[in-house]
Amino acid sequence: MTKTTNLTYSPVPDRDGLEARFGVRVASMLGERAQSAAPDISERLRFAREQALMRGQAARRQEQLISAPAAVVVGRGRSATLANHLGWWVKLGSAMPLALLVLGLVGIAHVHEKAQIAAVAEVDAALLSDDLPPAAYTDPGFAEYLKTNRE
Amino acid sequence: MATDKELSDFLKSVEKRAFKRTAFAVRDDDSALDIVQDSMIRLAEKYIDRPAAELPLLFQRILSNATMDWFRRQKVRNAVVHNFSDFGGSDEDGEFDILEMLDGIEGNVGTESASDSVSRDQILQIIEQQVGELPARQREAFLLRYWEELDVAETASVMGCSEGSVKTHCSRAVHALAKALKAKGIAP
Repeated sequence: MTKTTNLTYSPVPDRDGLEARFGVRVASMLGERAQSAAPDISERLRFAREQALMRGQAARRQEQLISAPAAVVVGRGRSATLANHLGWWVKLGSAMPLALLVLGLVGIAHVHEKAQIAAVAEVDAALLSDDLPPAAYTDPGFAEYLKTNRE
Repeated sequence: MATDKELSDFLKSVEKRAFKRTAFAVRDDDSALDIVQDSMIRLAEKYIDRPAAELPLLFQRILSNATMDWFRRQKVRNAVVHNFSDFGGSDEDGEFDILEMLDGIEGNVGTESASDSVSRDQILQIIEQQVGELPARQREAFLLRYWEELDVAETASVMGCSEGSVKTHCSRAVHALAKALKAKGIAP
């Protein structure tokens, strides 16, 4: 505390001035005695001061954390900040592998289907272009097939 | 925003007076230490964003509130509220006492011997005792005004009363002290 109490010094001091001078004098003597406090009291006050400073520093850090950019918080796994535009990019980035996986599966299924169709077509072409074996004409199923087609 | 160093320096400068003021009120050193520690922590945690210049007044408010909370918890608040008339007296007598005291002040400055030093300790002890025996509100006003060096408006703010009440409390405290010290033959 650096303030000083204004005292009025005049040849005939007024009542307030007298009271103030007396008060300041008594207070200075109280202060003199307070400064010579017992060591255990001084030690406990020092401990209390250090505790307060530590708590103050923790509160300051907490405040800085709250007011920091949302990307930092997102990086720490907080989901509450996803509304921020940086959060949308992160969300998009995390959805991209899933989309690629789905596209890959669709592509594989398409390629597999085309391969199957090509294999069947190849067999059919081979069958159609090959000579008909004589034994086929004795097969009742083949005879029925020819009869149905003719009708 | 106050820096850590400013907060530390402030707490260091005020801690002993804060302890003594609280000890006067609660009359128990351990409780006074607890109250001062709680007040320091509350200041550091809740008002860390305030400028350093605001810390003294804030701390005095917090300390006063913490002390009142302690009394509420102890449920002995009524026991420490004394009747102001205990230290009553005519204004004329009080003013005369103060004039005599002030004469003593001017005569005592710079003339302390070894034996005076011993007696000075006793005088300081008696003064502390007499301040401790003041009614609670008078003592609080006196200590805030003259020891913590708050002005009348700041003292009124901390005590939650009008500036007129602060002046009355201070005046009565000064006169009561002057009267009590004169009765013991002491001129501070």
